[in-house]
Amino acid sequence: MEATIEKISEKSIKDKIIDFIQEEVPDHMNSFFYCMGATPLVLFMVAAATGVLMTFYYIPYSEKAYASVKAINSEIYLGWFIRGLHKVSVNLMIFTLFLHILRVFITRAYKAPGELKWLIGIGLFFTTLAMGFTGYSLVYDQVSYWGMTVVMNMAEEMPLFGPPLAYLLRGGADVSEITLLRLYDLHTKLLPMLLILLIGGHIIAVRVLGFAKMEEAEGKHLFYPEHAMKVGLIAVGLLIVMVNLVMIFPPTIGQMANPAEVASNVAPPWYFSAVYKWITIAPRQPALFGILIFSAVFAFYPYIDRFLTQRGFTMGRINMAIGASAILTFAILTLWNIIL
Amino acid sequence: MGVINDDVSRRKFLSSAFMAVGLGFGLGAFGLRFLQFLSPKVKEKRFEEILVGTVNELSKSDAMPMEIAGSKLLLLKTDAGLVAFSRKCTDLGCLVSWDKARQQFICPCHQGVYDRNGKNIAGPPPRPLDRFQIVTKGENIYVRLKA
Ligand code: FES
Repeated sequence: MEATIEKISEKSIKDKIIDFIQEEVPDHMNSFFYCMGATPLVLFMVAAATGVLMTFYYIPYSEKAYASVKAINSEIYLGWFIRGLHKVSVNLMIFTLFLHILRVFITRAYKAPGELKWLIGIGLFFTTLAMGFTGYSLVYDQVSYWGMTVVMNMAEEMPLFGPPLAYLLRGGADVSEITLLRLYDLHTKLLPMLLILLIGGHIIAVRVLGFAKMEEAEGKHLFYPEHAMKVGLIAVGLLIVMVNLVMIFPPTIGQMANPAEVASNVAPPWYFSAVYKWITIAPRQPALFGILIFSAVFAFYPYIDRFLTQRGFTMGRINMAIGASAILTFAILTLWNIIL
Repeated sequence: MGVINDDVSRRKFLSSAFMAVGLGFGLGAFGLRFLQFLSPKVKEKRFEEILVGTVNELSKSDAMPMEIAGSKLLLLKTDAGLVAFSRKCTDLGCLVSWDKARQQFICPCHQGVYDRNGKNIAGPPPRPLDRFQIVTKGENIYVRLKA
């Protein structure tokens, strides 16, 4: 008898870890629709690992950057594979983030007490997009160079903090080799650090504030082993999908950056296509203000929801409508930009 | 609980408030210095007149792109004589190019279009192309720009 008690009090490290992460998970999370938060996390890990590998070959200097990316792509053993995995994982990460946000939005999972989860999540989303932009810039092809130019000038047009921010990012009045180094530092140091902090914060917030509750009463299951296994399964599935995607679409590289000529086919990655089309068709100031206002509403949506709910609006329906029209607008703008 | 006369807790509060303010100032000063370290040095630029060619040379073709001290420009014969246009799009800073067939400047970034006098006629550009002053001294043509 005593021996057993001793055994219980002297838990193995493995059991301690399991205790630490253990949590009851509501049954609705058995559906993939509700698991899309763990997916970007797995993808982020792949992106981080492959990204660190590439820093061993990449040279953040304007005269050598393009050649070093080219070398990674075609000379270094398995370089194309590592770079391909990096690109594919980032693309999937952003895609699943979109889905995750959409799910949280239409099920209104951000409701009190979950606002903090939403706010940190929005920070994560924007930081990830910033990673996308800085990452694209490092390749130093035509898309990188003119993308940098345009985005920095957009930042400069923003009210108040815009000009100093643009100046700080560029390291001067124009895009130069200092700009590349700054974006490299952001992409490989500051932004990943921020991303990891935010991911940690997001997970802690989810654990402390609890998973979102769905309307109907439902059963619960344990985080370990049931849910952890499920996430593991998703991870394995993702790896298979990613490897196949890299094989089918090996990474390509555009023409080298040429400050003296804009290529006619500079198109941003798909996740920026909609915004790109928007700033092309709308007049400049309204276009930028539209983006600012949209981001602000998006970020503080839980509070807007609460405000409207108190005044008797049925937000479930409204969110459904907003979600549907957001997807539609995004799809139309994206296709319009890609096809035309 | 006699908080009003509680000297100990007041002293405690004051000292921690003092610490907090001091820490705030200290960190703020550090942060400011860090930002200053990161903000690039502004080089003073002065106007200079730079020789771009002779009247004879420049009359051969009607559009001549060139780059002088980091400024990309295009010399073009317009209705009002020779003009040195800046090729920097007035929208978000891409590079415009001269389309001879259409007799227009085209910016590929967001499909901005300017006519042969540099006036913005389509797309997002908010104002006409910038111009540099041209100075003719005898046979020689100079462009006045910051270098
Ligand atoms: S930068 Fe030229 S049209 Fe936008």
